[in-house]
Amino acid sequence: MGLLTNILLSPFLGPIWGTKWTLDKVDRVVREELTDDTPIKEDLMALQLQLEMGEIDDDEYTRREAEIMQRLREVREWREKFGMSTSGGPVRVAEGDESP
Amino acid sequence: MSPADSAALAAEATPVEGKYVYCIIRNDRSREFGEIGIGSGARVYTVSHNDLAAVVSDTPIVIYDPTRENVLAHEFVNETVMREFTLIPMSFGTVFRSEKDVLALLKSTYQAFTDVLDKMQDKIEFGLKILWDRDKVVAAIERDNDEIRRLKDEITRNAASSTYFARMQLGRLVEAAMEEASNRYVTDIHEQLKDVSAASRSNKVIGDRMILNAAFLVDRKDERSFDERVKAISLQYEDLLTFKYTGPWPPYNFVNIKLKLEKAT
Repeated sequence: MGLLTNILLSPFLGPIWGTKWTLDKVDRVVREELTDDTPIKEDLMALQLQLEMGEIDDDEYTRREAEIMQRLREVREWREKFGMSTSGGPVRVAEGDESP
Repeated sequence: MSPADSAALAAEATPVEGKYVYCIIRNDRSREFGEIGIGSGARVYTVSHNDLAAVVSDTPIVIYDPTRENVLAHEFVNETVMREFTLIPMSFGTVFRSEKDVLALLKSTYQAFTDVLDKMQDKIEFGLKILWDRDKVVAAIERDNDEIRRLKDEITRNAASSTYFARMQLGRLVEAAMEEASNRYVTDIHEQLKDVSAASRSNKVIGDRMILNAAFLVDRKDERSFDERVKAISLQYEDLLTFKYTGPWPPYNFVNIKLKLEKAT
């Protein structure tokens, strides 16, 4: 919606500049969407609550949990591709921690 | 070579050299906690530096998905350790490449771990989630709020002639009254738990029926009083609210050490 509005309301941009600008914008929006695991974690917590409240059974839980794990793995892969930090996996104490 | 043989070889080739770290405790002797670790019951033991110890199990270098099974295994180890020790929980899925790397963590963070262990000495955490039944709360509001009751009666009496705007206004009044009720319940519950807890923290609510998602830090000596107080409150509100009360947990919500960790390649 926001993206479309910006494109529609930008009549002053020349075609070349305009195209480049649009691609940058798309890239940023898509990138944020691909690398944000907050909504997935919220879905996982909501699913857990449904199980605890007895609204779904174990089978249903397992099935939907598998979907959520798949989405988490995809986000992790994208974060790695973009060189962003990821949770999980091997870690060690960072060296040179006094540097700014 | 049969396919089964090559599969066995591949399994053997996967090195089980990493250490999964569950928590940090104060203990200067090596300890065993049984075969209860993540990944089909790995042996859980300690890696010590002076009087600090990391509770670990051996693991291949993998990324653990936060499935219910894995998270429960992580929590079960911490619950077991907690019966005897004050602990600093590590976040789920923390894997180090080697014992040497775990020792490096204990050495570099020795002072911060020591300070937090002192502060958390004999403290435990309880979780309290409160959900409401919308219909029951609306019914209670319609019973107790004069303005809303009058407007509703009026709309019911003049069903044919009552305007869209009167209904809209009723809806708005009910919404506002519900928000006010939610704040009132939450404030009252926090108030009643104040003198039996050391600290509390409110997390983001999950879904649209939850009005409170809180963690309480409690002194072990107050555990029983806290417990009784929660039961009394849930009785007081039993017609309106559902209580999900869990614990005791390690102080997950009250330990905030920024570990300087980086990805090990």
